[in-house]
Amino acid sequence: MIFEWLHPLLIAAALALAVIGAVRRISLWRAGQPAEQSISLIAGLLTIPKRYFHDLHDIVERDKYMAKTHVAAGGGFVLSAVLIIVVHLFGIESKILAWGLLAALALMFVGGLMVAKRRQNPPSRISKGPWMRLPKSLLSFAGAFFVLTLPAAGVLPEGTGGWILTIVLTALIIWGMGEMFFGMTWGGPMKHAFAGALHLAFHRRQERFGGGRSTGLKPVDLGQDILGVSKPTDFKWNQLLGFDACVQCGRCEAMCPAFAAGQPLNPKKLIQDMVVGLAGGTDANYAGSPYPGKDVGSAKGGPTQIITEGLVDPETLWSCTTCRACVEECPMMIEHVDAIVDMRRFLTMEKGNTPNKGAEVLDNIIATDNPNGYAPASRTNWAADQNLAVMKDVKEADVLFWVSDGAFDMRSQRILRSFVKLLKAANVDFAVLGDEELDSGDVARRLGDDAAFQSLAKRNIEIMSQYKFKRIVTTDPHAYHCLRNEYADFGGDLFKNVEVLHHTTFLNELVQQGKLKLDTFSGGTVTYHDPCYLGRYNGEYEAPRELLRSLGIEVAEMERSGFRSRCCGGGGGAPITDIPGERRIADMRMEDVNTTGAELVAVGCQQCTAMLEGVVEPRPEVKDIAEILADQLIEEVH
Amino acid sequence: MLVQKTGFKTMSQFDVLFEPLNINKLTIRNRIVSTAHAEVYATDGGMTTDRYVKYYEEKAKGGCGLCICGGSSVVSIDSPQSWWSSVNLSTDRIIPHFQNLADAVHKHGGKIMIQITHMGRRSRWDGENWPNLMSPSGIREPVHRATCKTIEEEEIWRVIGDFAQAARRAKEGGLDGVELSAVHQHMIDQFWSPRVNKRTDKWGGSFENRMRFGMEVLKAVREEVGPDFVVGLRITGDEFHPDGLNHDDMKEIAAYYNATGQIDYFGVVGSGCDTHNTLANVIPNMSYPPEPFLHLAAGIKEVVDVPVIHAQNIKDPNQAKRIVEAGYVDFVGMTRAHIADPHLIAKIKMDQVDQIRQCVGANYCIDRQYMGLDVLCIQNAATSREYMGLPHIIEKTAGPVRKVVVVGGGPGGLEAARVAAERGHNVTLIEKGEELGGQLTLAAKAPQRDQIAGITRWLVMELERLGVDIRLGTAADAGLVRELNPDVCVLATGGRPFIDQNPEWGAEEGLITASWDILSGKVEPGKNILIYDTICEFSGMSTADYAAAKGSLVELVTDDIKPGVGIGGTTFPTYYRSLYEKEVIMTSDFMLEKVYREGDSLVAVLENEYTGQREERVVDQVVVENGIRPNEELYYELKEESRNKGQIDNDALFDIKPQPVLLESASESGDGMILWRLGDCVSQRNVHAAMYDALRLCKDL
Repeated sequence: MIFEWLHPLLIAAALALAVIGAVRRISLWRAGQPAEQSISLIAGLLTIPKRYFHDLHDIVERDKYMAKTHVAAGGGFVLSAVLIIVVHLFGIESKILAWGLLAALALMFVGGLMVAKRRQNPPSRISKGPWMRLPKSLLSFAGAFFVLTLPAAGVLPEGTGGWILTIVLTALIIWGMGEMFFGMTWGGPMKHAFAGALHLAFHRRQERFGGGRSTGLKPVDLGQDILGVSKPTDFKWNQLLGFDACVQCGRCEAMCPAFAAGQPLNPKKLIQDMVVGLAGGTDANYAGSPYPGKDVGSAKGGPTQIITEGLVDPETLWSCTTCRACVEECPMMIEHVDAIVDMRRFLTMEKGNTPNKGAEVLDNIIATDNPNGYAPASRTNWAADQNLAVMKDVKEADVLFWVSDGAFDMRSQRILRSFVKLLKAANVDFAVLGDEELDSGDVARRLGDDAAFQSLAKRNIEIMSQYKFKRIVTTDPHAYHCLRNEYADFGGDLFKNVEVLHHTTFLNELVQQGKLKLDTFSGGTVTYHDPCYLGRYNGEYEAPRELLRSLGIEVAEMERSGFRSRCCGGGGGAPITDIPGERRIADMRMEDVNTTGAELVAVGCQQCTAMLEGVVEPRPEVKDIAEILADQLIEEVH
Repeated sequence: MLVQKTGFKTMSQFDVLFEPLNINKLTIRNRIVSTAHAEVYATDGGMTTDRYVKYYEEKAKGGCGLCICGGSSVVSIDSPQSWWSSVNLSTDRIIPHFQNLADAVHKHGGKIMIQITHMGRRSRWDGENWPNLMSPSGIREPVHRATCKTIEEEEIWRVIGDFAQAARRAKEGGLDGVELSAVHQHMIDQFWSPRVNKRTDKWGGSFENRMRFGMEVLKAVREEVGPDFVVGLRITGDEFHPDGLNHDDMKEIAAYYNATGQIDYFGVVGSGCDTHNTLANVIPNMSYPPEPFLHLAAGIKEVVDVPVIHAQNIKDPNQAKRIVEAGYVDFVGMTRAHIADPHLIAKIKMDQVDQIRQCVGANYCIDRQYMGLDVLCIQNAATSREYMGLPHIIEKTAGPVRKVVVVGGGPGGLEAARVAAERGHNVTLIEKGEELGGQLTLAAKAPQRDQIAGITRWLVMELERLGVDIRLGTAADAGLVRELNPDVCVLATGGRPFIDQNPEWGAEEGLITASWDILSGKVEPGKNILIYDTICEFSGMSTADYAAAKGSLVELVTDDIKPGVGIGGTTFPTYYRSLYEKEVIMTSDFMLEKVYREGDSLVAVLENEYTGQREERVVDQVVVENGIRPNEELYYELKEESRNKGQIDNDALFDIKPQPVLLESASESGDGMILWRLGDCVSQRNVHAAMYDALRLCKDL
């Protein structure tokens, strides 16, 4: 081609602009707060390849078509970019490299075609707008550079083609590089690669990688001037980095129960609004699904502007049930729930603006140490006839049975009584805290009142520290999560030697050890609903299923089960904040149950039980695993 | 836009009933208790055997926190136990039986205590060991017609010792406490009451002297069982006799005993019961208002500082909640309510209050007891039959789902339909009339008897909940049954008045009216009527009451000993109060020979059964209650084509086993539906009989 100096110049220019853009983008992120853990630059960057190929790829792999597409397009691009710099910018002559570049570009081209195919009839969850031009950009980049490389590879003679070809190729290269280099750091669709890769390195939850799980919310430093996140720069800088990594794939949107219920929350749009916030501007260019019931185009914000005054409506934040389906599904490992709770913290602790019954519940927690305002001395009334050992009297036991909020509710009490029956049958040495137990604080924390949570946590820990026990077992996944993942922030030594277990894990152990004799279940079809706080939050999917299997039940799995389990709607204080939608989350989940033809849905959380039983009859029966087991217990006759 | 449901339950309206309370050191898990009542279930000389144990176990299973069992359980061999098969604490033989009882109740988290007493003069001497009954001053007791001797000092001390030994046996048997009976005018309160204690020694006269016997009993019992075993005292709130103890006297007595600090709780019963009229008060039937004597219990609560228990006509959880919330008493006794539905508390907890089978105050239970028969519930045939295997909770069948047709919507038919529907079958109920209830509907028409329709109400609600196909206003004939082609057909077609037994009565000529027509409103009662009642149970008295309430002048004639002689001891007084007040003339020993017309009036010819002398009455209307003839025409039409020829195997029936025809396949016993009939359409019996048959036949469907 003529003007041989043109293309290297363009490449250099594009790269220079990319670097400028990168610096600019990084400064936008660094406007945020310091991260909790500081990670050294080199060490962080070195983690990227492993994390990309394992942790991130595991998630992308769930959509097999896109996984292959991305290998082709993304892999092809990365290889191409490197080789382009070598071959075309530095002009290193090597047939091998040139052919390598051709191969990479061909791969990228194929990837581009696959992207184009996807975009023909795209699923509603993915954003359109700038993304619709991406296939063309990929094809332009790949195709143009391919032709450009042919002479270097020896396929075409140097200087082939005249003005027209040069102009065309130049145009295509400008377009292609504009998208792929310039756009990567200046906010185009390719930004996800730049931010995404760095996010892998500097992720706020380093423990997530290598097959780990990090779900405990980070505590608020109550000594700050302003609590919670009011403007984008209040986020930690690596949270802002995370927002920019969003590739607008909408997998979070597709999984979100609030979105499906028609409540005004769309996790994808929320993250994009966070991007609008950190970079300044409006959401006019957003081309994905809106918040149900709210039109796109009226949101505007900036790094130092209060988010809930113009950018995001508080209703959006309060619709979330904290089920973590979005986080679980996000290939960029973005932590939506952290962001939502951070913003709730500002609304609750600084503004006192918790909607509907929220304020009443928080007042109750503060006044009576339980969300419904029951008399604290009535906490153990449910067990008046159970002769439970109380820690205050016995001082030590193998197992501390953490009863949790269900003690006050007559329906939940049946779960507790069943569990006690099983504990007694297996001769477990256990004790309860009795009236000394305070609420775990889960609801307070999810509603954003971290102060109340920390107060409860510290007091509970102080009380527990007086006694000796090896394990804590609870029937409530929310309390389980708090005790296992969040109390250690305040617990000092207490949790070093104490194991926290959900009752299904514990019961499964008992059954495996032969300490519980169970009869075969002779009812109809049974399905199992994975509670969010047991499954996604803590990875316990197997124990409940094994327990049911020990009764001879093969679970008729719902389509959305295991890590994709659909929330019942009971978490995150959602039933309290009660944001209106078009249908109820619990009704949708019961529809999932009905599709399996089950007559009984087994659950492992009293909140799920309450929500599912709230669905109008006729519907399948709802029972906790403890109740199902207790019914099948073969009692010893003396 | 719909609003999301809040997942947090609001406080249940019955929460106050589930606040535990301690009696002594015992934690009682909720505020509804089953108070002491005579069961007539003890066998083998007063031992708490299988039937007894399983009866109480069912209540504990159903959530009851405290059962005080054994009304009038005796401590001495000279307080006879066999008349009412009372529990016998005068022998160590009882201890292992108590252990069974205690284990069964404790297993389910309940507590159990027993009432212990010496009945003094309130018994019968003419049987068992032929003792001389004893009383402070040897005064005869009217309601049992019992004479007695004046108790001597040696015997006083012996009885005190017997109390202590009885308490020891209760404790060794693992029970949680004893309740001393100073109520229903047993020995202790015979000493209290100046009505029957005229002694001039240290056991009578002054207040302290009259209290002495009870105090010595309490002292001896406490010494035997120690301070931690529960000892309660059940007292009356007012004897309702002008020469007896009134409410102020009782408050003085309660305060006096409370001051010892040795009583752990007081049970308060309104009214004495040594006469026929007062007897009806202590177990108030459907003619009484709700909790009529609560004020007496509340009065006692004012002067004591331990928990107070009160029962008497508290049938509904809402009553219980109101009473506990307002603080009148600490525990509410819902004893007959538990007999009607031992799972009452579990149903409150599970928010199934509508599914509680409510006691209607028919008093079939206690009326049987006063005749020395075992206590049974008029509408719940499973109560006290748990040991035979009759279920309170009907399980779904594991066998084929059958099509069941029930003809007749009286209590027998309703229960059959309910049980079959609970089993999961496809049930159709056909009723000739426009409403369900059968003879219960008629029974409810009488003044103060309307609550008996509660039996119908619950059954109908259950049928609606279970989705039974109910067809009213449909007279079933063989054609309809064949068209429906059921697997099982249950006939409960009841009966019709048998006023045509004696042609001389003139039923064919329309001279006499059936009692049913008066109660149903079909025929207006005349101004001046004669009711001839051969049956002497409820129907005749109810008709008389009904007519008199409408202003008729009524003479109630029977050839039997007395009108209402077949009604039990707590029910006939309430009728008599009403009938005597309305100046109904009650005539016994006369047979109705003939009825003829004279001008505008009717003449009833009566003949004295013993002398043959005849009398005539000139009246506007002659109403006859002569029982019923079964409506068995449909049965005979269907009998031949049925697989079992309508036959019921009594061996299986009495053994509570499935009917053999259910276990045979169609090929073995032939084609055709299974046909059974029950209730009055077989022979005239009563509500309990009809419902018992319905339950024991259909529970294995």
